[in-house]
Amino acid sequence: MTSLQSSLGDESEIAQELAESQRAISIAEFFEKNKHMLGFDSGARGLVTAVKEAVDNALDAAEEAAILPDIYVEIQEDDQYYRLIVEDNGPGITKDSLPKVFGKLLYGSRFHAREQSRGQQGIGISAAVLYSQLTSGKPAKITSRTQGSADAQYYELIVDTDENEPEISVDEQTTWDRPHGTRIEIEMEANMRARQQLHDYIKHTAVVNPHARIELKEPSEHFKFERVTDQLPDETEEIRPHPHGVELGTVLKMLESTDSHSISGFLQNEFTRVGKKTAESVIEAFRDRHFGRGMTWPAPVSGEDVDVVAAVTEATANKGASATEEFATTIAAEIDDAGRVAYHDVEEIVDDAATAAEEAHGTTFGTTVRENAVEATWLELAPVATDDDLSIDETRTAADLYRRVNDATSSRKDDAVLDAFATRLAGKLADEDDHRHRLTRATLRSHVDRAAELTEDRDDTSFGDTARENVTEELWEFMATVPTDPPLVRELADDRDGTSDLVEAMRSTDIMAPPTRCLAPITDELIEAGLKKEFDADFYAAATRDAEVSGGDPFVVEAGIAYGGELEAEGSADVLRFANRVPLVYQRGACATTDVVKSIGWRNYGLDQPGGSGLPNGPAVIMVHVASTNVPFTSESKDAVANVPEIEDEIELAIREASRELKRYLNKRRSMQQRREKRNKLGTILPEMAKKLSAVTGREPLVIDDSIARIMNNVLVERTVEDGTVTITVENNADTIADVDLTDIVSVEPQETNGAQVIEMDGEWFVKWSESVGSGDEATLEYNVDGEADFDLSVEGIEDELLTVNA
Amino acid sequence: MSTSTSLNEQEAREQLLELAAEFYDQFAEGDVPRMQIPTRTKSNIEYDEEKDVWVYGDRSSTRSAKTVSGAQKLLKATYTIDFLANQLEEDRSSTLRELYYLSESWDLDEAQFNTQDESNNLIEDLEIVSEVKREDFHMRPEESGAKVMGPLLLREQTRRGDREIHCQKDVGQGGYQIPNNPDTIEFLENDADFVLAVETGGMRDRLVENGFDDEYNSIVVHLGGQPARATRRLIKRMRNELDLPVVVFADGDPWSYRIYGSVAYGSIKSAHLSEYLATPDAQYIGIRPEDIVEYDLPTDPLSDSDVNALESELEDPRFQTEFWEEQIELQLEIEKKSEQQSLAARGLDFVTDTYLPTRLEEMNVL
Repeated sequence: MTSLQSSLGDESEIAQELAESQRAISIAEFFEKNKHMLGFDSGARGLVTAVKEAVDNALDAAEEAAILPDIYVEIQEDDQYYRLIVEDNGPGITKDSLPKVFGKLLYGSRFHAREQSRGQQGIGISAAVLYSQLTSGKPAKITSRTQGSADAQYYELIVDTDENEPEISVDEQTTWDRPHGTRIEIEMEANMRARQQLHDYIKHTAVVNPHARIELKEPSEHFKFERVTDQLPDETEEIRPHPHGVELGTVLKMLESTDSHSISGFLQNEFTRVGKKTAESVIEAFRDRHFGRGMTWPAPVSGEDVDVVAAVTEATANKGASATEEFATTIAAEIDDAGRVAYHDVEEIVDDAATAAEEAHGTTFGTTVRENAVEATWLELAPVATDDDLSIDETRTAADLYRRVNDATSSRKDDAVLDAFATRLAGKLADEDDHRHRLTRATLRSHVDRAAELTEDRDDTSFGDTARENVTEELWEFMATVPTDPPLVRELADDRDGTSDLVEAMRSTDIMAPPTRCLAPITDELIEAGLKKEFDADFYAAATRDAEVSGGDPFVVEAGIAYGGELEAEGSADVLRFANRVPLVYQRGACATTDVVKSIGWRNYGLDQPGGSGLPNGPAVIMVHVASTNVPFTSESKDAVANVPEIEDEIELAIREASRELKRYLNKRRSMQQRREKRNKLGTILPEMAKKLSAVTGREPLVIDDSIARIMNNVLVERTVEDGTVTITVENNADTIADVDLTDIVSVEPQETNGAQVIEMDGEWFVKWSESVGSGDEATLEYNVDGEADFDLSVEGIEDELLTVNA
Repeated sequence: MSTSTSLNEQEAREQLLELAAEFYDQFAEGDVPRMQIPTRTKSNIEYDEEKDVWVYGDRSSTRSAKTVSGAQKLLKATYTIDFLANQLEEDRSSTLRELYYLSESWDLDEAQFNTQDESNNLIEDLEIVSEVKREDFHMRPEESGAKVMGPLLLREQTRRGDREIHCQKDVGQGGYQIPNNPDTIEFLENDADFVLAVETGGMRDRLVENGFDDEYNSIVVHLGGQPARATRRLIKRMRNELDLPVVVFADGDPWSYRIYGSVAYGSIKSAHLSEYLATPDAQYIGIRPEDIVEYDLPTDPLSDSDVNALESELEDPRFQTEFWEEQIELQLEIEKKSEQQSLAARGLDFVTDTYLPTRLEEMNVL
């Protein structure tokens, strides 16, 4: 992360535009008018938003300096106002950057920054400062101590609301017990009615920031959330925008500010994943859209009344018979070789032939001669119908179009109808101002449409959308991309339509997905750790998906689930929503995350879901984290993730991945439960049956323990893994000694195996252990593994009927 | 299965107790108590060439105490064995329905029956596993056996002493009521030429009213739909012991052919007793689809389920004879069915004066 204490991502653009349009009014008035969007619409909410901005800011500051964050939040109730104090152990802040960070609303939006950051989430700490000043009239009090400095610096800062200019009113040396960090104190009109949201925000922040220590002291309560890992989030790198994710307006601005001259350079320098080859592909697609393609017509075939040689010969004057002949025959031969040619192909062929003739005969073939030859050749290949001796339906262009159309349409179409259609299409081409037959795909389609409409009208037949599209596609394939150079960047910057063609070309080109080093997911392990830390449950699972792309922005979705234990069993499960590690507290119902959670069939995963849809019932906590360079929110206050299909899909997959583990856990628990129920049930039935049998047969009372042991598979082998310690327990509930041979196949090397034999084979370790377990006794084996490991336990020496392996 | 002879109470009781002893031993050895019985489905029925009847195949299922429901079944079986053993000891009898209600009085909830099907099935299980017939447990079905009318003198052991009954002279219009256990009957004398089993009560009454039994020396047995075990057993005994040919007279539809099937070949639910209940050489007299055509009988169209039933009969090995294939295919062609009583369209005496005598002659019964 490279930002200063606060930076605004692209998302502030709307706000910025809003602010620009309201330049005439004071920033105070602007704030007043837009405070609902900024999260300050009530005193209760204003306080939560201020805490949120300040804490996000503090976390970012510490992480950027690779310091494990230690955040202290205090809310004091004063007579009139609430005082918010937030301290961090970040690198501190210099006097120069202080006003920018804390004072200037909407400052520092870095144009197209593509990086996951918390700062993107809100309008910034400056809004909180402004809010406090507007409601209490008091300055923000900021203490900062930079790393290594002996003393701290104390500032008071007020914002000139007419000019939107921060001013430092007090600047003095002070002492502070933190070795480095920043402390901000603001006073505001507020209340504690949103206490629950405030607690949630802090608690949830602690869940997704297991590397942070956070303390909250408010008028009536005091919480401490301890750190559980020393692992800082991976550093992210800013990336350039991806061509698939940029809008026209953005591209126009980028064109203005780039140092590149050519489009190719612009594409390669300003976008991620664009190299020379990709740039060429984009430019080719741009040419098709911007200039159109040139229609190609077939070279003459024998028997056809087309004579390129004669036409060129006639058009070439005063070049001598042999030079002219060579010139003309070369052109004809080249066209014949090419098979089909567009106008620009003819130009190239003529140029080459002219140059060759010049060299061979020492005659000059000037521009006019060349142009004449091109025109004569083109007219021969694509003759224009004249009233006198050639009607349009007899032209070779009409005949060629007929073949193309015939290929592209279903065989059911009548030949005469296709012929008429082809003739009409030839007519449309002939009517084109550009006799080079250079068309964009859209123009081509409109010609096809027109010809099709006429055909439908006149020939009383249908020429539907599919047929039209097929014909268009077929013809488009027969057209050739023109070699015209694309405009320069400075030309394009003033050409909105041209830029639009470029944006379309970028979108239509296959380009590798953006790199994901700009993202720092929490990782499934730490999500589990975070949940364990804050929720006392029986079971935890988490899943981190691979990065995906939406609108050019890479994103990663992670999900976690906690179940059972002390979680609230009554009512719906808790849904914890996060975007770039920041808890989303408000607008739960408007969030894509909530929608996805509701859409999942939770009964499949073993949770109770009344009616089979909606939020599942507890005791469960479901958390979802969307990390993106540009999280799409439903509004500026950034409380809810918008319903973007790609993101919703990933949210669903992440939740399902974690839920599968939950299902396994619940199934296992249920099967243990069933086992207990079965034991209880059989414990009633079988003794009664035995009693009856003795009575009926008149024999002595039966002892049926053996039968029950056999029925209940009464040697139980269980495994637990905790903090790398694997414990295997053999519990013998049978009446006889159980001689068990256990083999545990482990994917990593086991340590301290307490006498068990270990054999390595093909990267797997076989832990072998034999034990004689007396009736009613229990035996345990412990060993250690480092990190994640897979296990596969097999038990021998006991009949299957007498064994339950629960590992 | 040694079911061809009737067991006395003592033997029946011993065989039941043997089953209990088996469970006892399984417990005593630390084994899981279980009971194996053949699967009672259509797909597990096969033809016994030797005995000419349909019996259960090799597939079986196990009721084992390994599962709660299996254990519960065995518990109920144990309680039922206890009950039956007492009943036999006291020489009492009870109906299947009484057993179901009686289980309510058992001290253990888990041993009580939830439905009557459950108790009925359990009795069938016990019948198969203990090789003792239900009748020998002194268990009766709810419905009584059907009625017999004809020149037959028999002796029935009743709870009130032995009675000698002539099935024409000593009975009213209704005929002689077949007891639940026809093995308590002893045939004394008869003057009959054949046994005529009739599906519907209306037709039986018509035959009796017209004096058919008298005129043709026929024992008329009323089947009343799917015949009860007692009825089938009695027909079987008359065939074996009196050496009388047996013909079945039913409606001309697929369901009636199945009634004939159960008389002649045995039914799926009681395939373990086929040897004891089935009369393999019983013949089908009518109504045949051929008769519908020949006599131009009033008809109803075949319903979809009729057609399905006919088609499944074509595939049923029991009906794969020349006679049945011809008749069923004819019926599928004419798409019609007729009831026995449709013969009345030709007059009330047509059936006794013309139809039956003609058919009996064709079949060489007369």
